[in-house]
Amino acid sequence: MTLAIGIILGCCALGAGIAMIAGIGPGIGEGQAVAKACEAIGRQPESKGAVTTTMIMGCAIAETTGLYALVIAILLIFVAPNMMVGVLTDAMEAMSAKGLFIA
Amino acid sequence: MKKIDPIVWKETGFIAAVSFTFSVFMQSIFLIVSNWVEDAWNYTVILGNLYGYFFAVLNFFLMCLSIQKALGKEQKDAANILRLSQMLRLLMLFVAALIAYFIPAFNIIAVVIPFIFPRIAITFRPLASKIKQRRNKNG
Repeated sequence: MTLAIGIILGCCALGAGIAMIAGIGPGIGEGQAVAKACEAIGRQPESKGAVTTTMIMGCAIAETTGLYALVIAILLIFVAPNMMVGVLTDAMEAMSAKGLFIA
Repeated sequence: MKKIDPIVWKETGFIAAVSFTFSVFMQSIFLIVSNWVEDAWNYTVILGNLYGYFFAVLNFFLMCLSIQKALGKEQKDAANILRLSQMLRLLMLFVAALIAYFIPAFNIIAVVIPFIFPRIAITFRPLASKIKQRRNKNG
């Protein structure tokens, strides 16, 4: 039982870590985009307002993957372990009651 | 301190308004689910929702400020500013969720879901612009 709980907790932590790899991409992408926007403003300073609005919307969209990854990681760390351990405990109790499992 | 661009206020206001609408929608879904699942909707959902909403809008506002700051710099500096800003903002959201987890007054799921509302709000941005253009055309 302890081993099973340990495996669940370990896998949840591992999953959260793997999910956060997706958090690297948006930072690089946003950096590239804003560098090009700086270049565009340098060429045409009068278009600063339009470029800023487009950049804000573009960066917010680019950041979505990072936020999704963060949400999944948070759920895996804080919500999933309690839920899974609860399901495992209930299943063990039900099996013990039927005499299928001896703890 | 540098003056905040009116575009930043405008976009943040739009995101805040649409995200608030989605928060109300989320509350109604929790309320409906509470008919079948006991304790699905209580004060922790409302507090968690407000807490998550605040941080989601703050994250967007800080992103806008970073963009405003980066646009006045050299290309390499601008890219570095936004990379650093993105990492710090993700960390801020994680710490916010961590605090919410340890305070029993917040429902963790209600805290986390509003983080993605600004993205959904941006999906409606072109639609809002089109409606505004049509209104201007019609006078």
